Amino acid sequence: MTLLSRTRELLDQAVGATGDPRLVRARHRLDEPLRVAIAGKLKAGKSTLLNALIGEGVAPTDAGECTRLVTWYADGPGYMAMCHLRDGRAEDRPFVRRDGALRIDLGHPIDDVDRLTVRVPSARLRRHTLIDTPGIESLSTEVSARASTVHGGADAVVYLLRHLHGGDVRFLETFQGGVGTPVNVVGVLSRADEIGGCRLDAMTAAARVAARYTSDERLRRLCPVVVPVAGLLGAAGATLREDEYRALAQVAALPMDDIVELLLTADRFAAIDDRRRLLGRLGLFGVRLSARLIREGEVTDAAGLATALTSHSGISSLRAVLATHIEGRADVLKARTALAALDDCLPPGSPLIAAAERIRAGAHEFVELRLLHDLRSGRLGVADDRRGELDLLLGGAGGSPRDRLGLPSSAPPEEIADAARAAQARWQRLAEHPLSSRDVRAAARAAARTCEGILAG
Amino acid sequence: MTDVLAQLATGRELAVAAGRADLAARLERAETTLRTGADIAVAVVGEFKQGKSSLVNALLRTDLCPVDADVVTALPTIVRFGRPPAAFLIADNDKRDAIEFSEAAKHITEIDAEPAARAVEVRLDRRLLGAGLAVIDTPGVGGLESAQGNLTMATLTLAGAALFVTDAAQELTAPEVDFLRRTLQRCPRTAVVLTKTDLHAEWRRIAAINEGHLRAAGLDVPVVPVSSFLRLRAQVRDDTALNEESGFPRLVDWLRCDLLETVAAERVAAARAELSFVTAQLRERLDAQRAAAVDPGTAVAAYAEKARRGARLETGTWQTVLGDGIQDLAADVDHDLRERLRLMINQGEALLAASDPRDTWRDFQAWAAREASRAAADNLMLLVNRAEQLAGEVARRFGMEAHDLSATLPPAVPALHKARDFELDFQQSGLQQFLGAFSAARVAYGGFFLLGGVGALVGVAWAAPLGLLAGVAFGRRLVRAEKERQVQQRRHQAGQELRRYVDEVGFHVGRDSREAVRRTQRHLRDEFAERARELSRSAASASAAVREVAALPEHQRRSLLGRLEA
Repeated sequence: MTLLSRTRELLDQAVGATGDPRLVRARHRLDEPLRVAIAGKLKAGKSTLLNALIGEGVAPTDAGECTRLVTWYADGPGYMAMCHLRDGRAEDRPFVRRDGALRIDLGHPIDDVDRLTVRVPSARLRRHTLIDTPGIESLSTEVSARASTVHGGADAVVYLLRHLHGGDVRFLETFQGGVGTPVNVVGVLSRADEIGGCRLDAMTAAARVAARYTSDERLRRLCPVVVPVAGLLGAAGATLREDEYRALAQVAALPMDDIVELLLTADRFAAIDDRRRLLGRLGLFGVRLSARLIREGEVTDAAGLATALTSHSGISSLRAVLATHIEGRADVLKARTALAALDDCLPPGSPLIAAAERIRAGAHEFVELRLLHDLRSGRLGVADDRRGELDLLLGGAGGSPRDRLGLPSSAPPEEIADAARAAQARWQRLAEHPLSSRDVRAAARAAARTCEGILAG
Repeated sequence: MTDVLAQLATGRELAVAAGRADLAARLERAETTLRTGADIAVAVVGEFKQGKSSLVNALLRTDLCPVDADVVTALPTIVRFGRPPAAFLIADNDKRDAIEFSEAAKHITEIDAEPAARAVEVRLDRRLLGAGLAVIDTPGVGGLESAQGNLTMATLTLAGAALFVTDAAQELTAPEVDFLRRTLQRCPRTAVVLTKTDLHAEWRRIAAINEGHLRAAGLDVPVVPVSSFLRLRAQVRDDTALNEESGFPRLVDWLRCDLLETVAAERVAAARAELSFVTAQLRERLDAQRAAAVDPGTAVAAYAEKARRGARLETGTWQTVLGDGIQDLAADVDHDLRERLRLMINQGEALLAASDPRDTWRDFQAWAAREASRAAADNLMLLVNRAEQLAGEVARRFGMEAHDLSATLPPAVPALHKARDFELDFQQSGLQQFLGAFSAARVAYGGFFLLGGVGALVGVAWAAPLGLLAGVAFGRRLVRAEKERQVQQRRHQAGQELRRYVDEVGFHVGRDSREAVRRTQRHLRDEFAERARELSRSAASASAAVREVAALPEHQRRSLLGRLEA
């Protein structure tokens, strides 16, 4: 029986025994997609990234501070907006779509609104529900406060940094204090296209900065991966229109000197209204990049440009990281949230709590997650050369056997089996080694067990 | 300024003619200060990666400050006027080592240099610098809410003006506005510079939003949007229109008009105050002679009384005000520092009690450095404010006593004489004029980087983790108890290290601030004692003149009066 079905069963029992509405909600949640919050300082590009991830410009964005309410974006049969009030009521609200973005008529003072839910028919949202949050460190303190209280409802967090600030570290720390662990946070170096003055090598520079953050010991404890993403490019790539391509092609057809002059500053390019909109959609880097791609003949139509923009944006690597780091662990993350709800709602010492404890102690997925957490937070004293191997083996970069053993995706089954056997022997030796500390021996036993799982699977 | 210089020269001639070398020397000093005036330090501050170094480069049309997508400025860089260009490394003990000009950039970004330098100073030949500006590029390392940010804050206490840099990518954040507010308390002449306007089409809106935020926060600061990129490009192409587009002319204008000219005006006012101080004393002898010619009897007694009081001025009650004030100030500053450090220990211990120091030590170190530097910066701010307040009090008391000297004199008869052509009058401008001289008192607290002593917590070697033997010998329960004991032990160890660190910070900062208090005391005492001596000498000389005139026969007195009023 899988971890998730055991958890479901236990929660069904608990709901039957108590009828507690919180447990009913927790039970429903087990069958819903994983909830991923997008958090970060104000103007880090959270809504833009959300649009890029969904592939549709549903969240309103603006140059000034824009998102002031926590908004859930979930899959649904059609476009719908629902307003959840602080007193517990929820009602459907009318909305208009301007340039694709949903502008919702709240119908209530903003302080009475707890959160919004927006339904969007989208295959991507079937895999995870995305939660857009207001920025921390906002000058309006209520907005900032709303931002820091919402993450209890999320199973995982995509945290956006523009550069690492003290406030980011504090936020990640508080998140860790609650439901967060280094195993369910993914860092994004956002607005990567603006790093180093929107020059054409911006993404390379961004990759360098992200690599440095990834190797920063203090940050690694808080979020072990940092992916550079140009959200604007990703969103534009997903929604590029034919007329926008034509406008860009016109620019690219100008003599080189004129192009340079025109793209020198945002102001110059934005002198005409149509171009101003284009600039808002792509950013200066996006426009410069598109002009070059079209001019050098690398793309010849709107679809080609859209693909190129998407691939430059880094959104695909973010999706890949999300798939391995978050969705790959969806079951265990969901089970963990559900079991935590059980702990909150039932008196200690009840037999159901004991059953929850048994699931937690017995399920190898939980053991792996806990070890990964200890390993990444530096609590597990493993030698540096083994650290990386153990991280992979415990599913740090994806749950498939190839990911765990660090093999290329083309590796044949025999090679996987050989590698798993070798790894198992190695970790077994370490587990029995008399000089290993107690913690390390426990970790090595778990690693060997993982190898057995791969061999058996 | 030229007419003040001419007046100073005339005043000096008069003083020399009257045989008052001391007053002539005073005017000479005033003239030197006015002519050469110390550079006005403009600190460029703000969150990291906002384009501070680019701004300095563009402002001074140079590529001196290293600019990179990733690397940040690690050392403060002071750029002042000098010909030919030169670069120095300023060490911890304020020693200057000349370095290759081309090497400067490397030093500025080097974080772990050995031995650690305090700053890099660069001399450049630029008109703006020649006009009396010194630009300081502050480190972005760690951001505003770090130890470095607090040290920057301390620097601001001593700077003449600040440029707060924020980029057009987004509106101001809460920590930025907070930093700006603290900046304005220390350094009232501040402008917000909105950078990177070339990259963001919406910069006008961001500027408007920022102005709104500043208004809402009650901060009265101009917002100047600029593009460093355009300015440098304009320089390469020698393109005036492009330079105009970069927005820099407005910034340069602010620096020249709002800053340099205001400071120049203040300096002229200070020189004028000195001049009137001297003039009043030179006039006194003539006034005295005339009073004696009119009514020798009263004049002799009155001026003798004034001379007697004048002789007592040097040891007057202002000395008591100064002495008591300095004692209070020293005690308050010391108490303030102790209180801050005590709070820091309490908070630190609470933090330690909530975690296992082995896991949180790095964060804890950063926290401790941040808190210690904040305590030091705030303590320095208190010291400077209180010292200025004390200078004001002493000046007021001194002014009162100096005014009292003339209390018994007959009312002055309006009359004309060369020395009276200066419109300023000592008696009237009275109390205020001493205050003017002390706006410069900040200079007395030494260089830009008072806070050298705040180092870092050193690493702690934690007790050995539970090893082989313990694992073999203890049962599970014992192991858990042992682990708990070890955490306790580590907390204890960390707590001790914290106390040692705070002790050290207290020692260094305390020493620096005691030194500053002593300097302030000496400065104020010398300043007023000298004035007292001069006043006393003037009074004595007037009294002698009165006696001379009184001794003259009646007809000579009358002819003297005729001459004086001619």
